[in-house]
Amino acid sequence: MTTDVLVAADSPAAEPPQRRGGLSPLARYLLIRLALIVPMLWVLVTLVFFLMRVIGDPITAAQGGRLTAEQIAERKAEAGLDRPILTQYVEYLGDIVRGDFGRTLTDNREVTDILLVNGAATLELSFWALFVAFGLGIPLGRVAARHRDRWPDVVLRLFAIVAYAAPVFFVGLLLKLATAPFGWPTAGRASTATELTLAKVDPQTNIMIVDAILWGEPRYVVDVLQHAVLPAVALGLLTGGVFLRLVRVNLLQTLRADYVTAARAKGVPERKVVSKHAFRNALVPVVTVMGMQVAMLLAGAVLTETTFEWKGIGYELAQYLIRRDFLAVQGIVTVIAFIVCVASFVIDAVVALVDPRVRF
Amino acid sequence: MTLLRRRMTVLASAALAGSVLAACGAGQSDDDGDSLIVGTTDKVVSIDPAGAYDNGSMAVQTQVYQYLLNFPPGSTELTPDAAEECDFESPTVYVCTIKSGLKFANGNDLTASDVAFSFQRIVDINDPNGPASLLGAMKKVEARDDTTVAFTLAAPNDQTFPQVLVTSAGPIVDEETYPADEVLDDDAAVEANGFSGPYTIGEYKKNELAEFKINPDYDGTYGEPKSDVTLRYYADSNNLKLDVEKGDIDVAHRSLTPTDIESLEKSDDVTVHTGPGGELRYIVFNLKTMPGDDDEQKQAVRQAAAYLLDREEISTEVYKGTYTPAYSIVPEGQVGATEAFKDKYGAKPDPDAARKVLQDAGVSTPVELNLQWNPDHYGNSSDQEYQAVKRQLEEGGLFSVKLQSTEWNTYSEERVNDAYPAYQLGWFPDFPDPDNYLTPFFAPNNFLQSHYEDDRMTKLLDSERTDADQASREATLAKIQEMVAEQVPVLPLLTGAQVAVAGNDVDGVSETLDPSFKFRFSTLSK
Repeated sequence: MTTDVLVAADSPAAEPPQRRGGLSPLARYLLIRLALIVPMLWVLVTLVFFLMRVIGDPITAAQGGRLTAEQIAERKAEAGLDRPILTQYVEYLGDIVRGDFGRTLTDNREVTDILLVNGAATLELSFWALFVAFGLGIPLGRVAARHRDRWPDVVLRLFAIVAYAAPVFFVGLLLKLATAPFGWPTAGRASTATELTLAKVDPQTNIMIVDAILWGEPRYVVDVLQHAVLPAVALGLLTGGVFLRLVRVNLLQTLRADYVTAARAKGVPERKVVSKHAFRNALVPVVTVMGMQVAMLLAGAVLTETTFEWKGIGYELAQYLIRRDFLAVQGIVTVIAFIVCVASFVIDAVVALVDPRVRF
Repeated sequence: MTLLRRRMTVLASAALAGSVLAACGAGQSDDDGDSLIVGTTDKVVSIDPAGAYDNGSMAVQTQVYQYLLNFPPGSTELTPDAAEECDFESPTVYVCTIKSGLKFANGNDLTASDVAFSFQRIVDINDPNGPASLLGAMKKVEARDDTTVAFTLAAPNDQTFPQVLVTSAGPIVDEETYPADEVLDDDAAVEANGFSGPYTIGEYKKNELAEFKINPDYDGTYGEPKSDVTLRYYADSNNLKLDVEKGDIDVAHRSLTPTDIESLEKSDDVTVHTGPGGELRYIVFNLKTMPGDDDEQKQAVRQAAAYLLDREEISTEVYKGTYTPAYSIVPEGQVGATEAFKDKYGAKPDPDAARKVLQDAGVSTPVELNLQWNPDHYGNSSDQEYQAVKRQLEEGGLFSVKLQSTEWNTYSEERVNDAYPAYQLGWFPDFPDPDNYLTPFFAPNNFLQSHYEDDRMTKLLDSERTDADQASREATLAKIQEMVAEQVPVLPLLTGAQVAVAGNDVDGVSETLDPSFKFRFSTLSK
């Protein structure tokens, strides 16, 4: 779903875009991108639906060691799992079209409740991770580009490789082991007292930092922030490493552009050349890549949330997968796919709108 | 651009200042109190008893519901809880009289009608995750008046039925707030407040946090609770261990790894409490597909395996003492438990006896045994456990063991389809009665489906189940255990101790680690 960026100026045969069916090329491009989301989601839902049936059912997973085969078959029938798989599939598709993701088989929870409550937790973690990723990746990328091939650049390139190559759970574990002896919080979104207090906030957003601010006591805000540090760093480093390298490469390319040479020739100081003329243009590809990073963040969230007991949809996905809860896994995967598709679409739309080099 | 940047800076500063001001504002009051925090890796399936039959749900139900009968802390004797008394009125009718004046926390009266409703709806709903199978012995339940409830049983003098009243099938729910035909959602159950146990639930986030508040009107077996308790759920035992070690939680109960427990035992800040366990780890032999040309040879192979095992070594080396040797199918601490396997095969490996039993039956050695184990259902140490079993069986050259592992769902399906000649299983009892370790395993059409069936055993089981005389029942139980040791249809390996780790300032942990397997928060205080 990411945009193909072609440099129109390099192509002498490029012709002005034509209107078709009364729609501008941009509108047509965006509509096609939007429409593509539906078949992508359908393929994914179908794949997950059938794959989950292959790996086993929740009743055998829970009771396989203590009930007879007949008793298990009875319970499967009771849960409707003995019906033809195609019937179940068509029924499920109908339900999700109506926005009904059903109830989990293993703990009788509304899947939409999981998506809303735990989804908010994942959103919060993604926010903090992006905060770390931008906070580290962009300024450090700039430093690396400015000191090209000198020791700061070498160190930062190495750091970037390690950051995105190291498995999130491994980084998480190291961070936990390093900080636990000093009493730093290593699990959960807040301490028990804070969670109990913030559960009383009305209306509840399930975004802990917002609830803490709404409650209005600094100690809870501090507690929530402390708990967010390790998971945000573990997940943020993954994306931060990518941003660092991306900013560095693009800044180096931009610094070789003609208009930058012209600026230098006019006597503009190097610091100003970088910050005012080159840096912003170098950020455009970062925006493009952000669409892909959403998918990467959500994938990383599954591991990060499990490592740090951050009860988001990634954590729940891992838990329900272990218990073979079809409905929960299908619902969560569908929503994650939807988020990734929409994020990619939004990024494509933004890039198409702001970057004249994009061809439709 | 400079102007824009300035504006942005002003806006950002204003937003930040606003947040800080809001954060530093007057604040709403909260009520931290001095409650205890208990951590667990168990999960709740449902607070509603009709929808759950698992440890995590039972841990919550134990705190908030009353039962007709219950076990007081530290006791294995059934004591009236919501009931005043219970007894057999006739061989097939078991009658309980309810205490008068009992109320649910929402103000509704708790009557015999609520009790009958609670049991009947479990059977009617028959939820796939529910405990309906535990009520197979109950034909009918009816409230005769406000204080009398009568159970009509399928078999006369069923001595296990009173024990069933204490299981996941036993919590009493409020007829006015629980639906008769479907499981009540957890949030709705908390909202309904139809609890009459020692605690009610305050804040509740499923499988994240549950706040238990003392129920001042509780009148039952557990006595007056000492402290409010918050239960915090973990996915990873490592996080549970770190938090109890740091003092972020007061008690860690279920389930820490043997390595974690060993490490916590060295800590000065926490105490490791252990209690008798009911969990059993054992090897099942498929009597049809296991090695051996005939029944005699097959029995000799099983007996030889029994002679060669060193349970003590597995207990100390693999499980660091968190599991102890099981020398009978009925674990130590249960009524009527013996050490039948130790009596017959000894506590230490006896290769000479193993060789003799194989030679006498004409079994050629080494016996090639495919032994199946499961990596994802019985804990991370299963791998080491079965490596040790293989090594012990192969010492002396009598066995050549091929270990194979399979993912749990496939394992569960294949084991009952004669795919494994010998395989690992574990058992957690439904109720603390020796019959729960016998009838499910050795009665006809048992869940093992290993082709074991013996008329003598069936008669003995029928006899112990319906024998009201304790001494005579224990004698029958001893005979059954002897027979299991002789025939070895299953080979008991280890029994799991109950372990809880608590801060040194926490009292009452050991009191609740008893054979009832009920972790009662009401005994805890600091």
